[in-house]
Amino acid sequence: MARMVVDPITRIEGHLRIEAVVENGTITDAYSAGTMVRGFEKILKGRDPRDAWAFTERACGVCTTVHALASVRTVEDALGITVPRNAELIRNLMFCTQYVQDHVVHFYHLHALDWVDVVSSLSADPQKTAQIATSISSWPKSSPKYFAAVQQKLKAFVESGQLGIFANGYWGNPSYKLPPEVNLLAVTHYLEALEWQKEIVKIHTIFGGKNPHPNYLVGGVPCSINPDEVNAINMDRLNYVGSLISGAIAFVEQVYLPDLLAIAGFYKDWAAIGGGLKNYLAYGDLPTRGYGQPDYFKFARGAILDRNLNEVYPVDGHNSGEIKEYIEHSWYSYSSGESSGLHPFDGETEFNYTGPKPPYDQLNVEAKYSWLKTPRWKDHPMEVGPLARLLVSYAKGSTEVKDVVNEALGQLGVPITALFSTLGRTAARGLETRLVVHWMKGFYDDLITQIKSGEVSTFSRDKWEPSTWPATAQGVGLTEAPRGALAHWIKIKDGKIDNYQLVVPSTWNASPRDPKGQRSAYEASLIGTHLANPEQPLEILRTIHSFDPCIACAVHLYDPEGKHLHQISVY
Amino acid sequence: MTECSGNLLVLGIGNVLMGDEGVGVHVVRHLEQLGVPPGVEVLDGGTGSFLLLDPMQRAGKIILIDATLDGNPAGTVRRLTPRFSTDYPRTLTAHDIGLKDLLDTFYLLDHPLDVVLFAISIASLQPIGLELSPEIEARVPEYAQLALAEIGSAIPQMS
Repeated sequence: MARMVVDPITRIEGHLRIEAVVENGTITDAYSAGTMVRGFEKILKGRDPRDAWAFTERACGVCTTVHALASVRTVEDALGITVPRNAELIRNLMFCTQYVQDHVVHFYHLHALDWVDVVSSLSADPQKTAQIATSISSWPKSSPKYFAAVQQKLKAFVESGQLGIFANGYWGNPSYKLPPEVNLLAVTHYLEALEWQKEIVKIHTIFGGKNPHPNYLVGGVPCSINPDEVNAINMDRLNYVGSLISGAIAFVEQVYLPDLLAIAGFYKDWAAIGGGLKNYLAYGDLPTRGYGQPDYFKFARGAILDRNLNEVYPVDGHNSGEIKEYIEHSWYSYSSGESSGLHPFDGETEFNYTGPKPPYDQLNVEAKYSWLKTPRWKDHPMEVGPLARLLVSYAKGSTEVKDVVNEALGQLGVPITALFSTLGRTAARGLETRLVVHWMKGFYDDLITQIKSGEVSTFSRDKWEPSTWPATAQGVGLTEAPRGALAHWIKIKDGKIDNYQLVVPSTWNASPRDPKGQRSAYEASLIGTHLANPEQPLEILRTIHSFDPCIACAVHLYDPEGKHLHQISVY
Repeated sequence: MTECSGNLLVLGIGNVLMGDEGVGVHVVRHLEQLGVPPGVEVLDGGTGSFLLLDPMQRAGKIILIDATLDGNPAGTVRRLTPRFSTDYPRTLTAHDIGLKDLLDTFYLLDHPLDVVLFAISIASLQPIGLELSPEIEARVPEYAQLALAEIGSAIPQMS
């Protein structure tokens, strides 16, 4: 028996380390540990609640806008502010922009190389690649000459010895199942996606003033609409946004989705691997009648237990009996005791590091072993992310979601239970991108209709001044980051932040065990996975990447005595 | 392929929530106060990774300011002219891989970058917080002057 340590280095948001027990090539247990401390409360306490978004936005370089969105919603919820319809539509457009860009980048640049063999693509016949491309899509850039040119460029890049982002792949590993021609198709679109993604994010600059880290505003959005004014959101800019959305629809429909389904067709065995937890949580988002009416969100709110799609439980972020964070295995202490759970309104952030001094070989997983707290919904461990979102909306009967999901399942010839897997997670991300990019067009059309009818308000000033606030107030801002359910909680006292807590998607998915010994999503998803070659743990990459962590990992392998055997880098 | 505008981009990278890790951003904020010649774009890149592709692609030359954990005494600044991502200091701290991924993509897109990197050594284990350590804080104006001097020598070659 070997003990294996997956020790992700920081990507953008924090460090993650996974220790897995491997028996006869199969993972029998796993522990997930966040090794970088968070302490937002300490930065935010005593500040103006209206400024909190600008700090929380820096929590993660990838999820910038959703942290800002959660933050302004939290304050609005506490103070009873309703934003104008235009602000809701613009926030939705910002949200959709991030989803489409982030999911495309995740698929092509962070996850595809777990399934696509770059080196194999060098031996592809460009003629055949062109045939495959035109058989699955009407995307114009599909000529044999075009694929041959990309192949030449790749050859030169590989021969330069500067493999760069391709340096860490397990090229030639037998777990890669795609024919060379499909590999070439995917690598070509890897390059196209790079160029494409930089266009769509210009929507953040247009509505948010700058990028990265666009501006938000409590009570609305920080841009004024005036169809004829040079410095405002005018018709020129709106037309440009419209053209970017049309381009996004084309890319998602003609490149991302066909590639996803073509690649998935070669990896159907992964529809039975990596399922892990059976509980799914989504806060939902994309309001159409205001944040206060979740029944009219495009992404539904709710919880599913034991994969029972016939019942969706309501979720309430304010209810102190629902979401709680535990610290029995986390480096914090609670005044109420080690095994108690605290609702984020009453959350405490007292550090209590009891782990080994870095660098170390192994954590003592019987004791505290992570800087992440362990969130639970009604004491259940929950998976969050694209799969949870789709399942909750599907189970709640959204016809839009059901149509898109059922069409893809039909094309692949797999039942809905195939979604409870690594492949299902990756497919769900693409399917929701398809939904989101069309919803985006709808929000854009609604915004244009509003403006044409003379409605240009983007900000509600009623409760901007602290003098209008009660002495104490508390609120919760729920949203869905691309990686899953995200919430901020605030307590305001005398116009200042008294407590501020974030529960981020990675906390749900990557947290350590709770006091009952229940595993969280990462830990559960790895159990039972067979490693064809422990020196090249491609299987771990596939499953962990299917959650879209914004972190990179170094994988360490250990023998039963804890001796270090092997280390690789995982992005 | 995006046409290169020939502009000069000064890009500060880092996470301002993590003390000295955010020194690159502090330096560009200081530069903005000092003012830069016309045609020079100053950008707080945060930890933006792929989001920075467009501004970097549009630039003819990039002056990158970033923190590094290279083992040198905190505050040490080195001027580097890296060609490939492997030429960069091994650990660009908490935003390491995002930036390196991005740099490699330029070679893939036939768009090699002209980069001058000011790598500022910081101590490891940055506590979470908005403030720089006193020794780094005191040297921010000096780093900004280094960037200004670099701008001054780059501009005649740009047009």
